[in-house]
Amino acid sequence: MMKSIHIEKDSTFINELENRLEMNEPISSWELFSMAFHAEKTTMTPSFKGLRALEFLPHVDFLNHQISSAEQVIEQMNGRAILADEVGLGKTIEAGLILKEYMIRGLVNKALILVPASLVNQWEKELNEKFYIPAVAYRKNMSWEQGNIIISSMDTAKRSPHRDTILNLDYDFVLVDEAHKLKNHKTKNFAFVRSLKKKYCLLLTATPVQNQLVEIFNLVSILKPGHLGNYDTFLKSYGKDRKNMKQDMYLKQLVQKVMVRNTRKDTGLNQIKRNIETIWAEFSKEEKEVYESLEDISVYLPSFSKITFLREFCSSREACYLSLKKMLAEQPDLEGFQRITEAIEQLPNHKKAEKAVELIKEIGNEKIIIFTEYRATQLYLQWYLQQNGISSVPFRGGFKRGKKDWMRQLFRDHAQVLIATEAGGEGINLQFCNYMINYDLPWNPMRLEQRIGRIHRYGQNKDVHIYNFALKDTVEEHIMKLLYEKINLFEQVIGHLDDILAELAIPDIEHELQEIYSESTTTGEAKVKLNNLSAIIQQTHDTNYEEEQYYGNT
Amino acid sequence: MAIPDLNNFLKSFFTAHHCSLLLDQDGVLTIQLTEEMDRALMNRPFYWHYMKKMGHSGEPMQLTLITNPNKRDDEGEWIHFGSPRLQQIIGYLQQQEKYTKLFQKVNPTVNTALYPWLVTNIKVSYRGKYKRDELFSIGLNLINGTMKSDMMKILDSIPLHTTISDFCYTLSPLVKLKSGYRRIEAVVDQYIENQNHEWASEALEELQTEIELLKYFYTSDNDNEQMEKEIKEINERYQPRITYQVINGGLFYLTSEIV
Repeated sequence: MMKSIHIEKDSTFINELENRLEMNEPISSWELFSMAFHAEKTTMTPSFKGLRALEFLPHVDFLNHQISSAEQVIEQMNGRAILADEVGLGKTIEAGLILKEYMIRGLVNKALILVPASLVNQWEKELNEKFYIPAVAYRKNMSWEQGNIIISSMDTAKRSPHRDTILNLDYDFVLVDEAHKLKNHKTKNFAFVRSLKKKYCLLLTATPVQNQLVEIFNLVSILKPGHLGNYDTFLKSYGKDRKNMKQDMYLKQLVQKVMVRNTRKDTGLNQIKRNIETIWAEFSKEEKEVYESLEDISVYLPSFSKITFLREFCSSREACYLSLKKMLAEQPDLEGFQRITEAIEQLPNHKKAEKAVELIKEIGNEKIIIFTEYRATQLYLQWYLQQNGISSVPFRGGFKRGKKDWMRQLFRDHAQVLIATEAGGEGINLQFCNYMINYDLPWNPMRLEQRIGRIHRYGQNKDVHIYNFALKDTVEEHIMKLLYEKINLFEQVIGHLDDILAELAIPDIEHELQEIYSESTTTGEAKVKLNNLSAIIQQTHDTNYEEEQYYGNT
Repeated sequence: MAIPDLNNFLKSFFTAHHCSLLLDQDGVLTIQLTEEMDRALMNRPFYWHYMKKMGHSGEPMQLTLITNPNKRDDEGEWIHFGSPRLQQIIGYLQQQEKYTKLFQKVNPTVNTALYPWLVTNIKVSYRGKYKRDELFSIGLNLINGTMKSDMMKILDSIPLHTTISDFCYTLSPLVKLKSGYRRIEAVVDQYIENQNHEWASEALEELQTEIELLKYFYTSDNDNEQMEKEIKEINERYQPRITYQVINGGLFYLTSEIV
């Protein structure tokens, strides 16, 4: 046995020690010498088994299935695996944990992380902040050779001249997010990932088999060629029907050796349903007048201001009033605005706020979260709810951790409503609440999903109710009807939206929408453009779906 | 954990580097850095470059480190076993504190001889499907060839100093440093040889299986280059290896009474 083990000894130490003693060079004091020894004892890994990374990440609350998945990938799959958890169970967390463990053990120095363009920054943030992994997003003129942990989009990486540089490098670890894009072995993406020189490799996808069994064959061939036989024999035995997988226990077992899949069912997240309802409100006559005069007058404003004022006014008088005041302070001679701010001051309570109180009373004695985009609205709502005998606490992403925890506790034990301005409340668990009001809709649907994720998550055991507020005959109605409802966002598209937007080269949908409004001279024009955007998104979604149907028939 | 108390560890580290502790309370530590520590930890080479160029002495920063998790929202950095700051400090220790020459501190009334010992702390890493480390601390008396394991533990109870005490003199080694090191290495070799290497057989087995699968996969394919690349990757992943790395070590002059 000893003969087949490569042994590498340390030949430099003793020479260097001899030199130092001869040259009388500075040497360590006992205290520091001994500290270095103890530090090594702390950082070394005394056992083949177990996850050391957990000791190093005391601030992360891992779920049991995430820890066991990471262990399984490292100990049983030897670092090459498909992570195929259902959406929302934390594939990213598992991947980060695995990478961290390999780094702690000194097995990974150089890693390449390939993710959709729209997720590059999110990955960078998560790996750095949650895992203390010094990963950097690839930026122009960066050196692929020098960076150790680089996150890039597949499109950038596979493009010349990056492609050749990358293919020449030896990676200890390669990760591909949204790996179902690799299921077709005839694509460039597939060929590229396959030719990467890599030691460990993780493929992340919520949908490892969408249509045909050969898709899983292709994914496995990247990780462990031959594990499922070769292409021809595989096709012969299993054909193209994915139903065979369920029938063939042997194949199933083979696949389980390279794939980890947790489902909501396993983790107890399954039984919970999402009820989503749109609540329409209508402006009063006075409010409508103000809205219309804003629409008319603000044509002369710099881009984005107009649509911002309109959105704010749909949220609360206060939000709009503050922005108007701020603008007037900078440009006091802007015509007409003085009149509008005066008109706003005269307005009674906002119709949406009245609707909210109505709804809260209807729901009865339940905890409710209200999300709004604006701080002014948050303050106003807090006041207005109080006027109506409803207790509430505020919540902002900017709160310090201690304050966040305190607010959460107040909400749980004393108040009925939590009014939040940001979904980004990382790590705040609100599973004890299952009602949510989206007081104004974010223009980025992914943020909506994050909001919902605050309550529809591990640990929730009641059905979740989501109410989306929108005002008739306003920009809110356009977004609700022409975008959200038209693309069937809540039912089918949301899981794919990232892919679709990347494919359409829309890095930031919120920005896209603002542009539509600022570049349109009339509301009608904006509506037409919005309609077109929805149509393209829907069409891309449908074509992708069809392609999946056809794939493999050639 | 080999560092049982992080707060104490940090205090010793900074005190040993001549930094003063401005605050030490309830797991919150504020340190006035020295220039050396500022250069080592604060990552601002341009500041120091600029200061020196202008003929200024420069002003080292203060650093607040929080080891008490309940205080982690206070002003300062929360430091724990995974935090980049601790890794930086540990990295600095490992890089700086590799070599030493120390003398036992004694108060003799008569002339006392000190025996030279070569002490090495060696990390052995076993890498098959996975990896595990073992740390040996071995001392060798360079006069009579006595060898001790767990040498660091023995040294812990002996007062040591960088200069020799009065009335003491050192004996010259009969065994040269290099051959002494070879003897230590031979002991480690022997230890490894006598072990059960199931981890290696498992890894080799896996290596064989995957290569066979791979060959089967490529029977109808002519892509030899791709296959070679993949064989290399499999080897890279499973080929069992053992590496020796001396973490630190040095020459220790000790009285004859050590156990």
